[in-house]
Amino acid sequence: MNAPLNHLHKVSLQSKDYKDNVTPFWCPGCGHHGVLTSLLRALSEIGVDPNFLVNISGIGCSSRLPYFVKSYKMHTLHGRAGPVATGTQLARPDLAIVVSGGDGDGFSIGGGHMPHLARKNVNVTYVLMDNHVYGLTKCQASPTSRREMKTVTTPYGGVEEPLDPVLYMLTYGASYVAQSYAANAKLTTRLIKEGMEHKGFAFINVLSHCPTFNDIDDAKSFKEASDEVPTEHDVADLDAAMHVVNLANRAGRVPTGLLYRVERPTLDQRMAELVERVGGHPEYDLRKIIDLSRP
Amino acid sequence: MESALGCDDEGEEKQQMSKSDLIIRIAGEGGEGIISAGDMITQACARAGLDVYTFKTFPAEIKGGYAMYQVRASGQRLFNQGDTFDVLCAFNGEAYDLNHARLKSGTALVYDSPGGDFEPDIPEGVFAYPIPMTATAKELKSPKAKNMVALGALSQLFAIPEVSLREVIGAKFGRKGEAVVQANLAAFARGRELAAALTKTDPFAVGQAVEKRDVVVMSGNHAIGLGALIAGLDFYSAYPITPATEIAQYVAKHLPKRAGTLIQAEDEIASIAQVVGASYAGKKSMTATSGPGLSLMSEMLGMAFMSETPCVVVDVQRGGPSTGLPTKHEQSDLFLAIHGTHGDAGRIVLSVENVRDCVDLTVQAFNLAEKYQVPVLLLSDGSLAFSTQTIPYPDPDSYTLVERKRWDGEGEYKRYQLTADGISPMADPGTHGATHIATGLEHNELGMPNYTPANHEAMQDKRFRKLMTVAADMPPAEVDAGAEEDMADIGVIAWGSTIGVVREALQRLRAAGIQAKGFYPKLLWPLPAEQFEAFGAGCRRLLLPEVNFQGQLAHFVRAETSLRPESYTICGGLPFTPDMIVTKVKEMLA
Repeated sequence: MNAPLNHLHKVSLQSKDYKDNVTPFWCPGCGHHGVLTSLLRALSEIGVDPNFLVNISGIGCSSRLPYFVKSYKMHTLHGRAGPVATGTQLARPDLAIVVSGGDGDGFSIGGGHMPHLARKNVNVTYVLMDNHVYGLTKCQASPTSRREMKTVTTPYGGVEEPLDPVLYMLTYGASYVAQSYAANAKLTTRLIKEGMEHKGFAFINVLSHCPTFNDIDDAKSFKEASDEVPTEHDVADLDAAMHVVNLANRAGRVPTGLLYRVERPTLDQRMAELVERVGGHPEYDLRKIIDLSRP
Repeated sequence: MESALGCDDEGEEKQQMSKSDLIIRIAGEGGEGIISAGDMITQACARAGLDVYTFKTFPAEIKGGYAMYQVRASGQRLFNQGDTFDVLCAFNGEAYDLNHARLKSGTALVYDSPGGDFEPDIPEGVFAYPIPMTATAKELKSPKAKNMVALGALSQLFAIPEVSLREVIGAKFGRKGEAVVQANLAAFARGRELAAALTKTDPFAVGQAVEKRDVVVMSGNHAIGLGALIAGLDFYSAYPITPATEIAQYVAKHLPKRAGTLIQAEDEIASIAQVVGASYAGKKSMTATSGPGLSLMSEMLGMAFMSETPCVVVDVQRGGPSTGLPTKHEQSDLFLAIHGTHGDAGRIVLSVENVRDCVDLTVQAFNLAEKYQVPVLLLSDGSLAFSTQTIPYPDPDSYTLVERKRWDGEGEYKRYQLTADGISPMADPGTHGATHIATGLEHNELGMPNYTPANHEAMQDKRFRKLMTVAADMPPAEVDAGAEEDMADIGVIAWGSTIGVVREALQRLRAAGIQAKGFYPKLLWPLPAEQFEAFGAGCRRLLLPEVNFQGQLAHFVRAETSLRPESYTICGGLPFTPDMIVTKVKEMLA
């Protein structure tokens, strides 16, 4: 059942070849267009075979992304893309799997799944398109909305502090944590590419401006708030990664680039080892199991 | 506590016919070895070729509280746990008090004395055997062996096969070393001596096997796990919940041997999501839960129906509503199982009668899920979950396995192609030329979002069309007509483990000259209405006993057929007994 660990079946395709024949339904000027472009470029640069690629999403503007990528794909339930992808990955470790979704999908309704994707080191790439607002339901506060933002549910301004996705994922034990903003296609493409090549759970938070419902963050402000992590940052040092993020948060800045990366066994590898340890194989005689229940 | 509806005349009738169809109840404090002593009797009787059918209750707490294990053993085929015990083995005063009302004239009592925590006032006509269980265990310096002293006494008094019991004790404690085995065997032997010194006055003795059969002894939960392995299970996502956890326990132990994967999820929502994800990837996938977990899964079950993703979900029902009575028996999730999700969604619901069904219908559940690309719910219940029964050895080669229809590679691939039977070929990821989306949005044949009226109607029709032939894939619901050919005075419709109770009740009713028939559907949804109608046409009156407050199956029968069965519901946390059905029918016909 467990396939070779090189899950990226290679072909040679242009990034446009990864576009499915569905036009993105996002508003003009939406950051998600940029994230899609970066994803298609990353797929082309790696050379992923679309037949062995699965895009999985939940519900939200960003969760429509799979429709626009030529691949196998699932458009599932609000907040549940992570566990669906876990099932697909464990069932078929030979597939390349990309999860996409928004801040509400990933950190509000689906927030309970995040620690488990990270600690289990499920070998998928999770691209969180973080626009700090619920867009598809037309402007409600999300868990990453800045407090001063006015939305339909916070007409006088918010009353809650936002959470920081990358800080959570570092704490939860994700083995690859990175951050970018949608307008920075070069960095976003590189981070998605390296995330897909990383064996383990790769989390990439992409600040993706919503031109329609978020009037306090835009492409320009995301760019201006961002500081790429210094080249001397040691990505293997978890304490350093936490420190970079905490320092930036205190200064009201957004650290971009690869924050942390560590190699450790993935969930499917551990499963394969377990099967090997018990001498398992698909043809194992069921009678040996049934005989254990003889009186 | 117990639903005691037995009447005296029935008790007499029973005693005459079944001295070797013996029911022994061991009761005491949780942690005193009640369950292991009961298991040993069960194993020993099964080794000796007898049919066994057990029933247990235990507290929701880990330590302490009242625990009870009842073994019914017979040389004849058994269908249920019986009415009440013939022999009570009381480990303490609480166990004695709780069972006092059932200590009728003609039953036997084995109790801890002298040296126990109570001195019973023996009811008239009860055969009483005081055995100093606690004191003897202390004297032998193995205080944990109180249950072994009791087991020895029971073995001596009621002819429970001694050799088999010794083997079982050896097997049970073998891992703990020879000293432990010997200590337990010594306590067992001392129990036998103590009982031998008493004068046996009762008529009870475990019967002899009619014929040696090739059997296994399994609980309902383990049998469901086995059924899944036979069906070709690849992926199981687990989340712990009473009383379903032992299914995961069994699968976790054995699935890796078959190179399959069991993963424990963070909650039931994640469990069913993982199952859907794995099934999309082409693997036979399942999860098992109880009512609270099924509530959490209901959104994803709608998605599985909409995206046409095969999956099997087992619900081992327990007492509700809400957290309810987690360790108790109830058949109260039928409403949820059949309709529990938003929107207009379908599914297949099967229910099991006994441990044998737990194997067979689990295989069937996978076959139906794969064939129709729908969620299949398999309903078990709290008493069946832990009931151990002898069943014929399930030969894995005797089962027909169904695989999902996969795309043949011809022409353009349309995941949701409109076909005559509604079944559209699937394509596993990795199939060239068949990339597609599985989605919970309404979609066209290609999977693309499409909300036009014509499309939604066509797609709903397609999805529901698949369910029209399900009944033809199952054996028709069993009609238990006995020797009756004519119009029956009473027809009893039952589902789940209540069926086994009704089988025995009907035998007694017929023996009492009442023309009685039974109807035992295992496919509950889509409800095989024609089969119900045909049965109803052959009965003057209909009774539908079920263990829930609202009469859930009765509700669906009234909605889907012209039949108007009288609903007979109990919800005391315990199953029906044959006596209760017999009494009810006699009342109806009086």
